[in-house]
Amino acid sequence: MAETKPTGTVLVAGAGISGIKAAIELAEAGYKVLLADASTQIGGILAKLDYQFPTDHCGMCRMLPMVGREYASQYCMRKSLFHENIEIMPFTEITSVQGDAGNYKVELLKKARLVDPAVCNEMGECIDVCPVEVADEFNHGLTMRKAIYQAVPHNTPKLLLIDKQACTRCGECVKVCTTNAINLDAQDEAETREVHSIILASGVKLYNTREFEDAKSYTVSPDVVSSLAFERMMSGSGTYKGDVIRRPSDGKPAKNIAWIQCMGSRNRRQKRDYCSSICCMFALKEAVLAKEHGGPDVDTTIFYMDMRTFGKGFQQYRDKAVEEHGVKLIRCRVQGVMLNPDGSLQMRYFDPDTNEFFVKDYDLVVMSTGQIPFETHKKWAELMNASLDSRGLIATEQYSKIKVAGKPGLFICGSLMGLTDVSEAMSSGIAAAGEATSFLTTLGVDTLKEEEIPEPTAREREMPKVAVAVCKCGEKPGAEGIDYEILSKELQGVGAVGEVHVIESICKADGEAATLDILAKTTCNRLLIGACQPLMYRQKLKNVARKAGFHSSLVEVFDLFGIARKGMIEPSTGDWTRRAAREVKADIEKLKYKPALYVKTLPINQTALVVGGGIGGMQAALSLAGKGVPVHLVEKDAHLGGYLGNHVEATVDGMAPMALANDMKLKVFENKNITVHLNSEVEKTVGNLGTFESKLRLKDSDERTYVHHGAVIMATGGHEGATTEYGYGSADSVLTQGALKKGLASGDIDVSGVENVVMIQCVGSRQKGGRPYCSRICCMWAIANALKIKEKNPEARVFILYRDVMSYGFNEQYYTKARAAGIIFMNYNLESKPQMEMVEGKPVVKFMDTVLNTEIELPADLLVLSTGVDPEESNHDLANAFGISLTEDGFLAEADSKWRPIEFQKVGLYLAGTAHSPMPLKSVIMQAEAAAHKAYTYLSGREVHTASVTSMVKDALCIRCQRCVNICPYGARSYNEVDKCITVDAAACQACGMCAVECQNNAAEVTGWSDKQLMAVIDAKLMDDLFSSTVE
Amino acid sequence: MAKFAKLSFKKDELNKELSGFFKGIMENGAVDAVLAPMAQGKKGNRLTLVTSAANIGQIDPFAPIAAVSGAKIASSLTSRPSGRKVAMVLRPCEIRAVVELVKLKQVNLDDVVMIGMDCLGRYENTDFAKFQEQGGTSESFLENAQAGKTAMADCDIIGACKICEFPTADNVDMRLCVIGADEGSVFVEAVTNKGEEALGKSGLKAGGVPAGRGEAVKKLVATRTEARDKKFAEFRAETNTFEALSDKLSACINCYNCRVACPVCYCKECVFITDTFRHTGEQFMMWADKDGMLKMPNDTLFYHLTRITHMSLFCVGCGQCTSACPNDIDLMPLFRTSADKTQARFNYQAGRSVDEEQPMAGFKSDELVEVTGQVK
Repeated sequence: MAETKPTGTVLVAGAGISGIKAAIELAEAGYKVLLADASTQIGGILAKLDYQFPTDHCGMCRMLPMVGREYASQYCMRKSLFHENIEIMPFTEITSVQGDAGNYKVELLKKARLVDPAVCNEMGECIDVCPVEVADEFNHGLTMRKAIYQAVPHNTPKLLLIDKQACTRCGECVKVCTTNAINLDAQDEAETREVHSIILASGVKLYNTREFEDAKSYTVSPDVVSSLAFERMMSGSGTYKGDVIRRPSDGKPAKNIAWIQCMGSRNRRQKRDYCSSICCMFALKEAVLAKEHGGPDVDTTIFYMDMRTFGKGFQQYRDKAVEEHGVKLIRCRVQGVMLNPDGSLQMRYFDPDTNEFFVKDYDLVVMSTGQIPFETHKKWAELMNASLDSRGLIATEQYSKIKVAGKPGLFICGSLMGLTDVSEAMSSGIAAAGEATSFLTTLGVDTLKEEEIPEPTAREREMPKVAVAVCKCGEKPGAEGIDYEILSKELQGVGAVGEVHVIESICKADGEAATLDILAKTTCNRLLIGACQPLMYRQKLKNVARKAGFHSSLVEVFDLFGIARKGMIEPSTGDWTRRAAREVKADIEKLKYKPALYVKTLPINQTALVVGGGIGGMQAALSLAGKGVPVHLVEKDAHLGGYLGNHVEATVDGMAPMALANDMKLKVFENKNITVHLNSEVEKTVGNLGTFESKLRLKDSDERTYVHHGAVIMATGGHEGATTEYGYGSADSVLTQGALKKGLASGDIDVSGVENVVMIQCVGSRQKGGRPYCSRICCMWAIANALKIKEKNPEARVFILYRDVMSYGFNEQYYTKARAAGIIFMNYNLESKPQMEMVEGKPVVKFMDTVLNTEIELPADLLVLSTGVDPEESNHDLANAFGISLTEDGFLAEADSKWRPIEFQKVGLYLAGTAHSPMPLKSVIMQAEAAAHKAYTYLSGREVHTASVTSMVKDALCIRCQRCVNICPYGARSYNEVDKCITVDAAACQACGMCAVECQNNAAEVTGWSDKQLMAVIDAKLMDDLFSSTVE
Repeated sequence: MAKFAKLSFKKDELNKELSGFFKGIMENGAVDAVLAPMAQGKKGNRLTLVTSAANIGQIDPFAPIAAVSGAKIASSLTSRPSGRKVAMVLRPCEIRAVVELVKLKQVNLDDVVMIGMDCLGRYENTDFAKFQEQGGTSESFLENAQAGKTAMADCDIIGACKICEFPTADNVDMRLCVIGADEGSVFVEAVTNKGEEALGKSGLKAGGVPAGRGEAVKKLVATRTEARDKKFAEFRAETNTFEALSDKLSACINCYNCRVACPVCYCKECVFITDTFRHTGEQFMMWADKDGMLKMPNDTLFYHLTRITHMSLFCVGCGQCTSACPNDIDLMPLFRTSADKTQARFNYQAGRSVDEEQPMAGFKSDELVEVTGQVK
């Protein structure tokens, strides 16, 4: 007899976006997740942001699962989140952690909200009567709130709570609450939970300008705000409701806005010798949005030290901000802000571009504040009994950003790794889920088994008869809201309605019993329920329906209470009963014509194909193979290792890529789950998630191998760029950073006699006509090489000519170290690039020094060029073979640069490492782990369930024009050349309906959203002519 | 560089000379078949598929009639291809519709030698019978039409042709050029390599240039464009309210003939005859209840507006809709005025080029933001 194994359970501490992502990914893999957050809500910082670059839209919902959408909410994630396998615990602190790897006992303290959200009807009268006003922290104190309040303005449900500190216990709220939802004496509850693994995703503390001395010279007025506060000033749910940006002091529109970078960061005196990594892009985005909100007469200036646009698409965004939006960038550290008598803010600065001093007035100054990580790290290290590294951060394993050193089963992600942007938060969340999954598979725990309630037979072929049940939500009928008696009668008269029931409170136990009773007794074949919050209730109702022998897709819920509530707030503005009747009738029409919907089960070939045998590809293969997934690893060269693994011995932060690659190679060849295909390329791939078939071509031969697999990971890597600039190729003394690195390591390049070494950064990079992007790693390579030269020959003078030093995060410390070692950094502009001349066989570099404003000539014994990173040329062929797209730069184009960084638009294909964009070794490994996890989620089972609502083809009507194939944003539709018909990959289809809109005779249709249904809905809404009334 | 071959003909021998050319390309293996307008017995003229060179004698491409759009025939012949080479002689409007159908994967030009003829207009089917009764021939029509004389006692060429700014065909392998040609001559022009090969095999000798053609075409286009703009302005003024539009369509009996005749209405089965529009008695009663009455058949305006939505981006202005209406509703201006605006919005012109992507055929995350109201 099989032993019952415990269900794998993971605690995710912190429900910001990386924590949420980790939780969703684990839940999708079938594990149970406790998602706890100390704050009153989930979403972290991102809950405050309406906009993210590069799209300047929100997009949080894009991290929701794409396949099997039945099990998770599919709506705005800033409002709320729901997943069957995730237990969300906001306002919960972790007070102690006992035990170790695989067997943690966690003590949680659930803070009392004093308002029970399960009972609260969200009418908000309690807020109106509350006499206490305090500053609203969600809007950074720019607005006021009551002691009883809604923590996040856009949350659904509203989740009211009482601020214990502010509350005077006057009891006014209790008096007006009709549902007894408020209990002023409610106590915090302690709870002990057992979990197998823990992911820390709490983020870190942010620099607060009110807290620290070094901000004093800036915070002279309420019009000096932090970048997050500025975000709230722009938000539609923020201080000005999305209106023009105003000065907090007097409400005047802010026309002249300045940003000051590195507030609190890059400050050695304050022991904050690090870069907060994300502030440059944050400021650029805010400056662009300020222009878009305020109009062309808004002037935006960013004062910066280095504009660190190191990520994918960052530099292009900067270029656009400057060229198209007119954002001004001035390289100057402004020393303080002065308050003018008229309330405006004066700043003095030196503009190196014009070589002049300026004194200018601004309406608003935004301080780009960053992280102060040490306190948070120390707290977690103590709680988890983990160690801190020399920097004071939680120590991770040598090649991992995720795995906590010496603590198997404990992982970190998100901004605990150092402030991360959305993309890296996503990758790290997935990677952490992947590492936790790898760990859980070694424990022999089980995944959650779905509750198998068979779907009863649908009676959809009978004449449609709809039973309607409306919930009164405990409210008394009367003139104020909806008269349920009149409503019932009105609905009885609708042709398709068989019976009408009024239920007291459907969400309570009685209500559920009543629903079951209706379902059991009804002679109707469809049930429509009018209740509140259908988004929350719909999931629960499915199982209720099935238990009662009713096909779940023929039961629908709609938001009746939304209408009732409007009626209660504005009783005199219309006939709310009639209004409600109209809405119900429309929903009856939609349900009447609804076919029964079914979840499809698709087979999965539990094998992966990994393209690219560099460190990223090997990591992905090893991760999957370690979890028992067979892997085909395809490498176009004769050996594994890729660029890093074959050329780079050591990095500045003490890693040894070649040694690592050699170690991985051994593991790959030893692993019986991995089949290595060397000298091979993928010629063509057909199929969908679970059923791919790829044709592999052996180089220089006619030999073809076919492999079948369920998912693909693209890890094609990149290599050092080429150049013809600065006399490269004309003399041995002009070389690339890569060649220097190799030469220094092997001893082939002897620097003992050299006097001057000149390094030029951004050769061919960050410029039009070359690589428009930043290659991210070159600055650190240059610093590593420079330090090495200094180590071998302290007399040598090393000059690094740079545009912006991209030493983001704790790399800043190497930049500091380099300057301390006497390496000379000199800035140059793209407009006046350095010039090179050979004088007596020796390169001489001429350039304008931006500080001295004079031309400088440097004779160089070695001229070292940072030529950036190029993507693999083979990407073009692979893009064709797999039907994926490339960016303009030739890197693989992910589905969404922020929210889906390692997925392609087509489900079942993932990417990792430099195939995505140039990135350092640890990031490559992290992405590979993340990609492996995405694939594993599907490959771990023999089948995958699709959503019930997907698009379909009515073949008899289809003319095969294939416009739907072309228009599908998810690559879910294809033309089958053999059967000459259109097919839909139900796993990839997101039911967006583009195909249905495009198809003129409805041969393409989204199930449950037919034109017939929708036209009936429109008709029903137009029948009762309410448009003349004043409301809506 | 385009190559011309001059085909001179004596009076009443235009079609004889043309049949010689087509016989040549068939017999010398340039094509296996010819699809061209041919006289049917004593009266009438239809596109005819000829596979035996001996039967080409009745060819009469310039007869001013197009009873059925050749684009639809081209689709029938090639959407499930025969594998045999066929020369198609079609009017410019038919070829422009073919271009749209190629993009919609309803025409496959792989085995087609497309021959576009200069078009001076056509008569309605019934008027063509009168034309023939009054002794009209293709030669007389070409001569008169070039002089601007197309009107007969009680009829004229159709309204669509009068405002057609495309008298010559693009996207073809060859052209049959008559505009601006001297009396008694037609030029055969080879446009593509395929066309040159066919011309080579036809037995015609290349040589001569239709000197007056460019100027004559320009003049004709200018006249027609002016007429078009006048017609658009008139029609827009006549249909500027829903009521006025309904009045225009008051004779409609929902027979859907206009959609059957339309060369770019390419659906296998129109949505208006699918279950989507098959309503229950209860439904009709409900609609009637709203205002206390309901015109039957209903949804007349809805049907025409739907058709505008579905095909105005592809509309080539051939006028087959007007020709097909059994109740003499002049539908052509309705679709042309709509198409004029919708196509301009996307900087698109139906039939201009095979390589031009049809609007709204691909997914773009930012498109028509001012219409979609997409907010950031």
